[in-house]
Amino acid sequence: MSAEASGRACPRCEVSVEGDWSTCPLCQSALTGRAITSPFPAVPLTFSRRRVFRVLFLMSLALVLASLLVQLFFERDDADLGAWRFVWLGVATMWLVVIMAIQKRHNLAKGTVYLVAIVSLLCTYWDYLTGWNGWALTYVVPILCASAMIAVLITVRLMRMAVGDHILYSGLTAVMGLVPIVFLTLGWVYEPLPAAICGVLSLITLILLQLARGGQVRHELSKRLHM
Amino acid sequence: MTRPAWVRLDNASNIFLAARSDADPKVFRIFAELNHEVDRGLLQDAVDEVYDQYPLYHAVLRRGVFWHYLQDSDLRPAVIGEELHTCAPLYQPHRRNLLFRVLYHRRRINLEIFHALSDGTGALWFLRDVVDAYLRRRHGHARLETTTPPTGLSLTMDSFAEYFRHPAEGTSGERWLESDHEDENPGDPTTNRRSTRSVYRVRGTRTPDHRTRLVELTLSGSELARQAKAEGVSLTMLLIALFFESVRLASGGLGRARTMSVSVPVNLRQFFPSTSARNFFATVRLEHTYGEGADDLASIARGLERRFAAKASSSALESRVRRFVRFERMPLLRIVPRPFKDGLLRLINWANNRGLTVAISNLGRVTLPEGADPHVGRMGFHVSAVRPQFCAMSHGDQMTLSFTSPFLETDHVREFAQMLTQRGLDVSVAAVRASEGELAEASLDGLREVGA
Repeated sequence: MSAEASGRACPRCEVSVEGDWSTCPLCQSALTGRAITSPFPAVPLTFSRRRVFRVLFLMSLALVLASLLVQLFFERDDADLGAWRFVWLGVATMWLVVIMAIQKRHNLAKGTVYLVAIVSLLCTYWDYLTGWNGWALTYVVPILCASAMIAVLITVRLMRMAVGDHILYSGLTAVMGLVPIVFLTLGWVYEPLPAAICGVLSLITLILLQLARGGQVRHELSKRLHM
Repeated sequence: MTRPAWVRLDNASNIFLAARSDADPKVFRIFAELNHEVDRGLLQDAVDEVYDQYPLYHAVLRRGVFWHYLQDSDLRPAVIGEELHTCAPLYQPHRRNLLFRVLYHRRRINLEIFHALSDGTGALWFLRDVVDAYLRRRHGHARLETTTPPTGLSLTMDSFAEYFRHPAEGTSGERWLESDHEDENPGDPTTNRRSTRSVYRVRGTRTPDHRTRLVELTLSGSELARQAKAEGVSLTMLLIALFFESVRLASGGLGRARTMSVSVPVNLRQFFPSTSARNFFATVRLEHTYGEGADDLASIARGLERRFAAKASSSALESRVRRFVRFERMPLLRIVPRPFKDGLLRLINWANNRGLTVAISNLGRVTLPEGADPHVGRMGFHVSAVRPQFCAMSHGDQMTLSFTSPFLETDHVREFAQMLTQRGLDVSVAAVRASEGELAEASLDGLREVGA
């Protein structure tokens, strides 16, 4: 066996060394004798791209959140700020969506839920910063929620996703679609139609989900919420 | 409509997930060295055969709101040549991949496992079956009935839950322990008290890409066992005493931190009749303070042995594990979301690490199925490590001590090897190239070989 087939010898440690070392890996003395093959490959150094990305990722996230916070301190209707604020909010939104998309790229259904949540929150914030006209709650949130529901349905069909992987997120998009109904009942919207359409759509989706996949939904929920 | 089976992680595994870091991905490797270069095709066939018998190994790790859980998958393992350093990370939170890999390089078959899936004993069953299946294909010896218990290979078997869950009723764990009496003397300060003295911790230069620094020493296991017996101590305790001594010699003076401590895993299957291939072990912490009484090897080993006997009795282990399980099942803790739990466990782990100098793990002497045994030489294992550590395993007469560390320095291994040779043992050293200098030398040699 290979252990008996001794390799080079270290005069100081009095050990035999496997592999093509010219100096002893323990004491750095020069070795004597004939080399035998090492049981290990020489694996080149890898500098983890993952680590670089993680640092960049966290830095961008911190910057985006900081920029959103900074914008809060400017006067709401500051006329001088005008277009600058829109440009800057647009840039912040873009990066936040990019960061989220990278983070959730392994599950499209999950990513969609995050996308809807983030864009809805951002638009509401945007609306608030620019004088609280109510366009976000009236139009953006209901339209986003309704589109997301349909988008998830199309995506899971096209990509033949495993039911267990998307069922909770399909359900979540439908539950989010009920939120505009809350806005409607609280009178936060000036045009009831989008919220109503979105609410009806999610009710239908939820009922269909319960009828067709109720067991699966309960299974996934018990798995993920297991205490 | 089939739903993938799932199961919550066992008690020991949660800490591995929380304690995982770049330097220590909580991966370990078990290897068997054959008497010929490994044939990749045959190995793949062997892995396919054994994989089908081990549902546990089909599992992927997923994150729930409150806990991690293992879930069945349809993935198939592919045997790969060794192109990563030993114990390279396996689990990535966003990927759904298998929690083990089978690698080969020249004569070695390596099995690497993410520790949350299984412990050394469980992994050894898998490797043993793979090696046997491979050699059956190559040499055509008949298949002997497998010694691996089939029930333990399922996903659902969790021996922690089985033996330690219910504190009120007489559990099966307690019933098994009825005959056992704790012989620990509560008045003996050396057995119970957690030391307040400062513990020596090894520091060093980290490897450039967080790879595990590995040095293997191969020697005659029977000769070392004979020496241990002559000194009246067990082999493991002699190895720990040698390890303490080598760290002390390499330190260039301990300074005020004169206490050395070691963490030793104890296989709970020897106390509780479990056949689970999942994690089922507890760790015991032992220490020795230099400058207080006899500091020769035999005395250190005997002192360690005394403490070990007290701490590793089944009743002492049981109360310890039961405490962990009770902690895990605390109502308040259960409703805390997983990321916070992980943070808490990470903190506990960090505090624990501060009280440890080294760690060792001895899987003992391995026997293989009869037909396979003559074709296998060395066997051993490595673990990723946050502190200097060694793992011991023997096959036949050859004992392999694998030293792993997150630091480039190998001074303690040098001292260890020199102590062994001074005891008249023949030691063979195999080291992995880890520093830029060492790798540059290897690539120069590689160029010379191809005649550049």
